[in-house]
Amino acid sequence: MSKKEIGIYIIKKILLFLASIFLLSVIVFYISRLAPGDPLVSYYGERVEKMSPEEHDWAMEKLGLNESVSVQYVKWLSNAFHGEFGISYKYKMDVLEVISGRVGNTMLLGGIGFVLIFTLALLLGILCAWHEEKWLDKIICQVGTVTSCIPEFWFSLVLILFFAVELHILPSSGAYTIGKEKDIADRIQHLILPVTVVVMGHLWYYAYMIRNTILEEVRADYVLLAKSKGLTKNKILFRHCLRNIIPSYLSIMAISVPHILGGTYIVETVFSYPGLGTLAYESARYKDYNLLMVLCILTGIVVVVCNMIAQTINERIDPRIRQ
Amino acid sequence: MEEQSRTYILEASDLSVSFETDAGEVQAVRDVSLSLKEGEVLAIVGESGCGKSVLCKSLMKMLPGNARIKSGKILANGIDITGYKERDMAKLRGTLFSMVFQDPMTALNPTMTIGRQIEEAIKIHNPHIKRDALEKRVIELMGLVGIDQADERRNLYPYHFSGGMRQRSVLAIALAGNPSVLIADEPTTALDVTIQAQILDLFRDIQKKMHTSTIFVTHDLGVVARVADRVAVMYAGKIVELGTTEDIFYDARHPYTWGLMQALPAYAKGKEMLHAIPGMPPVLIDPPRGDAFACRNEYALAIDYEKEPPMFRISDTHHAATWLLDERAPEIKPPSPVCSSFLAEGDQREGCEGTAERKKTSVVEECQNDAENRETLVAVNHLTKSFSIGKRNVHKAVDDVSFRIYKGEVFGLVGESGSGKSTVANCVMNLCKPDSGEILYKEIDTCCSKEFRKNKKMLQCERQIIFQDSTSSLNPRMKVKDILTEPFRIQHITPKRGTLSAEAAFQLTYVGLDNSYLEKYPSELSGGQRQRVAIARAVAMEPELLVADEPIASLDVSIQAQIVNLFRHLQKEHGFSFLFIAHDLSMVRFLCDRVGVMHDGKLVEVGNVEDIFRHPKHPYTKALIESIPIPDPHMERQRAREKEHE
Repeated sequence: MSKKEIGIYIIKKILLFLASIFLLSVIVFYISRLAPGDPLVSYYGERVEKMSPEEHDWAMEKLGLNESVSVQYVKWLSNAFHGEFGISYKYKMDVLEVISGRVGNTMLLGGIGFVLIFTLALLLGILCAWHEEKWLDKIICQVGTVTSCIPEFWFSLVLILFFAVELHILPSSGAYTIGKEKDIADRIQHLILPVTVVVMGHLWYYAYMIRNTILEEVRADYVLLAKSKGLTKNKILFRHCLRNIIPSYLSIMAISVPHILGGTYIVETVFSYPGLGTLAYESARYKDYNLLMVLCILTGIVVVVCNMIAQTINERIDPRIRQ
Repeated sequence: MEEQSRTYILEASDLSVSFETDAGEVQAVRDVSLSLKEGEVLAIVGESGCGKSVLCKSLMKMLPGNARIKSGKILANGIDITGYKERDMAKLRGTLFSMVFQDPMTALNPTMTIGRQIEEAIKIHNPHIKRDALEKRVIELMGLVGIDQADERRNLYPYHFSGGMRQRSVLAIALAGNPSVLIADEPTTALDVTIQAQILDLFRDIQKKMHTSTIFVTHDLGVVARVADRVAVMYAGKIVELGTTEDIFYDARHPYTWGLMQALPAYAKGKEMLHAIPGMPPVLIDPPRGDAFACRNEYALAIDYEKEPPMFRISDTHHAATWLLDERAPEIKPPSPVCSSFLAEGDQREGCEGTAERKKTSVVEECQNDAENRETLVAVNHLTKSFSIGKRNVHKAVDDVSFRIYKGEVFGLVGESGSGKSTVANCVMNLCKPDSGEILYKEIDTCCSKEFRKNKKMLQCERQIIFQDSTSSLNPRMKVKDILTEPFRIQHITPKRGTLSAEAAFQLTYVGLDNSYLEKYPSELSGGQRQRVAIARAVAMEPELLVADEPIASLDVSIQAQIVNLFRHLQKEHGFSFLFIAHDLSMVRFLCDRVGVMHDGKLVEVGNVEDIFRHPKHPYTKALIESIPIPDPHMERQRAREKEHE
């Protein structure tokens, strides 16, 4: 591929990226405003009910909600280009400020969860493939099927009930004990339960996928050739088969980032973990429009970028597609 | 005993191998004994499902998990390796024996360079080899198997290589550990006939240079005649006849061997039909009592259904398992054409002429005398079709091809894979749109969409196609009767036999299947039966033009003969014109009236089949015809000698 072609390729990707984010912002903007509910509730709380119609109109005008949705969108867009995403109605401060306080927590939870899923799935997959159709494989597959059927919120509640309420060994909510913000051990303690739920929810699917891709690969003819030249089973598995499945695994894991991210959102809500998930839930529920927009776009960017990474991995790593 | 085992490199005695499946135990190999001497080439022949591949894999103990060696022994250089663990076997593989597979497209790891895959094979048995010695050896091996510019090519990936080059690379890997035995499982089946000839020569070369013994599995008796010293004929998991190549080709004793030989078009001397072995090989879950071949054997004796025949000794080298060799058996004259008569005429080419002349006199005369008077059914004029690979790379699949098919004739189109045969067929059937040129069917320009729409129903009814892969061309979720009657339903035609189901039953009997198949799904049928259903579906519409794209390429020799006979029979009954696409030249010679030879998208030669086969004008046609392996060892050896002199 020449330099020019690579340039065109990158420009195409960027344009596609911008287009999808623009479309996402339009859709979220309209849908959030179409849904029933009063956005003033999150700003004024209980007081809204006591407001006279005049006061209500004035408040709407102050928040810029009295105009038609299209006009609102154009205003929002032009402000967004200047880096102003408005204020959160609930927290009464700049949206970005609200988010920046929480994003680290989510990254920590999601990141640890993702790395654990990635490595454990690989290990379990290899283990199952190695013991194909033997008892270990069968047990792992059965356990996996059952575990992945358990809904995350229910599983979280069971864990809380058992480890926090009964045994009192792990905290049931939050990201840290108040007053111990800098204590790493305390943070880890708070992460154990949510991470467990995130990992358990996704691990099996990927492990099972790895197992099946390995087994498919093992049945390929070139494995027979490798065997007939005298390679041992483990060398065939690690040098030939794994090597060939890693690219597709990487790309699938890249696609799975948003999937896992979605999982953490639910888990965060159940554990009242101060991350983006709880924030997103609140903002949608209380019609905190500005906050909701930024969160949706942020999530959208992650999804699109991850998909693009996956696609690029697929296109680049396999020598057959590379040319 | 000591003495004997020392002379054999590899020996199997009373070997039985079974597979555990849900349906029951499949006895894939039953009581097989064979031995391999140093430097000899042993060919194993038989239909698919006869246990050839399983036998090879079990010798190297490379069977899948559900397979068990039930009884018997495998001896390597006189040492019993039957009980060897996986680790010990890994040490033997590559050095004592190694394997070459059927499909070179899948046998190489697609994400590793060729050089690295060869390196790896060297390093397994020589882990401390120095970098430059290793590289030298890789280049040496690549040179040995005939890959030139090895220094650059070793950094290429398998997808850069053609099928022949890949098979050479596989061979280089197999030879990396200097094995004493090379096991080749249908190594040339997936290759084009000219490439097959090159690879076979290569095998012979290497065998001479390195004195490796070879076990060569194939179903092509022509290939056997070219490479083998000894031949084992396998049927239903057993070796039914074992002898030197001469024994088998000139003095076969087992009826199955006769059947295999006669199924070849080269033996259909002076006959209208090929000799087909009736039926199919048995399923080995519950092998029949007595001789497994009895029910397909026209010479079967009563005892064949009761008791399995032992191996009878005919000479020191020649053994066969058939009751016909028992002294109490009635005298049976082997079917005459098995080689001797064929040889008497000296030249195989000449030998075949008898057939052709008798069969085709009328046609040839017609062609020559009143070619102009014959009615043209299809006229292809300057057909061109390109496919683009990526943005700029345009591949011309069909390049200015013109030919015509007359009414009632069988027109053959031959050429290697990628020569554009199928594209021509698809264009003729309106399955793809040509870039330029025209195709006239009964004077209608079928490429013009207006004309096509006007005559749509007629064109769709009168032209039918049969594909190579009947597995994927029949809808797996439709029953046979629905497949057969679908064309009637689409075209709203009332079938001749009154109702749809009566029509389906009629067509099915017509192609030789009974009514019990009406309710079956394609997956319940064998390859041959599926192809019969595909033919029945095509013929049901009583087409004027039948296009068959490699209809027999994926079938066994004996089944091929059945299908070709069916074509011949149907063609005679219906009198349709037939565009027959194939790469098997001997089949084309048997079946077709006229033939076109395609090479790189161009039609290089068209003419009467006998003219082309006897006096090929284009060098490519010559090369193609010369590459056909002849099922006659003497001829093949003579050819090899001539080649060496050149």
